[in-house]
Amino acid sequence: MNIFLHELRAYRKSTMIWSISLAAIVVFYMSLYPSFARDAAEFTKILEGYPEAIRNALGINLGGFFTILGFYCFPLAFITLCGAIQAMNLGTAIVSKEVREKTADFLLTKPITRTQVLTAKLLAALTSLVITNIVYIVAASIMMFQVKTEDFSFKLFIMLSLTLLFIQLIFLALGIIISVIVPKIKSVLTVSLATVFGFYFLGMLSGASGEEAKRYLSPFKYFETAYILKNKGFEASFLIAGVIIIILAIAASYLVYAKKDIHAV
Amino acid sequence: MNVIEINNLTKTYGKARGITDISFHVEQGEIFGFIGPNGAGKSTTIRTLLSLIYPTSGSATIFGKDCVQAAPEIKKEIGYLPSEVFYYDNMKVKDLLKYSASFYKKDCNKRIKELAEIMDLDLNKKIDDLSLGNKKKVGIVQGLLHEPKLIILDEPTSGLDPLMQQKFFELLEEENKKGATILFSSHILSEVQRLCNRVAIIKEGKIVTVEKISTLQENNYKKFKIETKTQLDRNYFNISGVNNLEVNNNVTSFIFKGNINDVMKKIAATEIANLWIEEPDLEEIFMHYYEKEV
Repeated sequence: MNIFLHELRAYRKSTMIWSISLAAIVVFYMSLYPSFARDAAEFTKILEGYPEAIRNALGINLGGFFTILGFYCFPLAFITLCGAIQAMNLGTAIVSKEVREKTADFLLTKPITRTQVLTAKLLAALTSLVITNIVYIVAASIMMFQVKTEDFSFKLFIMLSLTLLFIQLIFLALGIIISVIVPKIKSVLTVSLATVFGFYFLGMLSGASGEEAKRYLSPFKYFETAYILKNKGFEASFLIAGVIIIILAIAASYLVYAKKDIHAV
Repeated sequence: MNVIEINNLTKTYGKARGITDISFHVEQGEIFGFIGPNGAGKSTTIRTLLSLIYPTSGSATIFGKDCVQAAPEIKKEIGYLPSEVFYYDNMKVKDLLKYSASFYKKDCNKRIKELAEIMDLDLNKKIDDLSLGNKKKVGIVQGLLHEPKLIILDEPTSGLDPLMQQKFFELLEEENKKGATILFSSHILSEVQRLCNRVAIIKEGKIVTVEKISTLQENNYKKFKIETKTQLDRNYFNISGVNNLEVNNNVTSFIFKGNINDVMKKIAATEIANLWIEEPDLEEIFMHYYEKEV
């Protein structure tokens, strides 16, 4: 419990900054919606001029774009990208922070097992993400009700918003496994940005190609907003793929971390 | 009873040398010195004892329990001070020590205050703002605040001024009197001599010898360098106990082991311009050990 609280305190600032930033992005985008909705017909014409591949890559689907939920999907794509960076940062820092700040000796000579250390840190990172998501969803829903021109399904809105947390969980798990395996990470941000953008572009490419199987390559493609809007549910196979990635990465992290040599620096 | 027992402990890092086949034991209530040059394997041995790294082969027990299997349990009674201390920068000294104390299920507040007073440490400063020596003090308090039964110190004195070093040694002796066993690693012979009952000498990953300090003191090596007005005859210092004799113009140097009065009389009998008597560094002592083996 003491490690958990200590870690949470260490994340306090970053959690606040990320929560506020994500909330600010959604507030800003949604504030554009009223004027957007007014000029809907003309925008549709412009967007029809874009090749379909590009529209897919950007996450714009014409059918529902001018409903408030359709419009919400547009900032959401950007927000999940930012959220992924936050989660990846957290995950990558979990163990590498101790190595870089040379505090591993302090922590690991205390009467606790490494499993306890990792669990406490994992839970702290998870808590930080959940707090971010709560702040974000509260801000987003307040904004939605402010700018709506017609009623929308709140349940569907929550489902769309939850894709943020799902993607964050996947990247948190990826970050942890990297942080456990790589002996010394000099800069967390470099690693996390490279990974997140790598997957993001992979996702754009696979989205443009239209091949279903390639979507498994990028977590960003696991939760297609168009599909959720149309079917009012998640794609089960991708949901399972996400869960499997998370479980494998975290289980492997525990195994590696328990056996790992902590070298003097 | 042996507090630490190390049996044929080996740790290799890929092809690089770690430690090979190390065995020794530390008895209850002892202050045990662990001495060797940098890179000899002192830290590797200590880190294996603390299960920060895992042995390639061999084993070690602390309080009679395997140091890997029973690691969390053993560590309740261990205080560890690493050679380089880096603690969470963004914390105050007080908070760091409280965090450290929170791992042990006892109230350490009183002890923290006592130790901070002895070591003259300001609890309200940020660790970030502390000098190296003061950070070291944080490390010392952190290592001792839960009144451990075994204190493991890895080159603890670097960065401490002589006065603090003195206080720190007194503190250790006090803990020792209260029953704590101490494993003290260092590359400085004099501090080990000052403090320890027995000493293990390690070189290139192997234990060269385990001896009582009293035995080492009988082998009291001194390094002499004498500058004379005129060049001395090579045979002038041809008395037993003189080693590595070198004569360079007016400067004569050698390592001496034996009754110091003999050599002082010889020196007093000549007209000298200057005189240096130093503790030989470890390398020179090791040279001796290797010569013995050959």
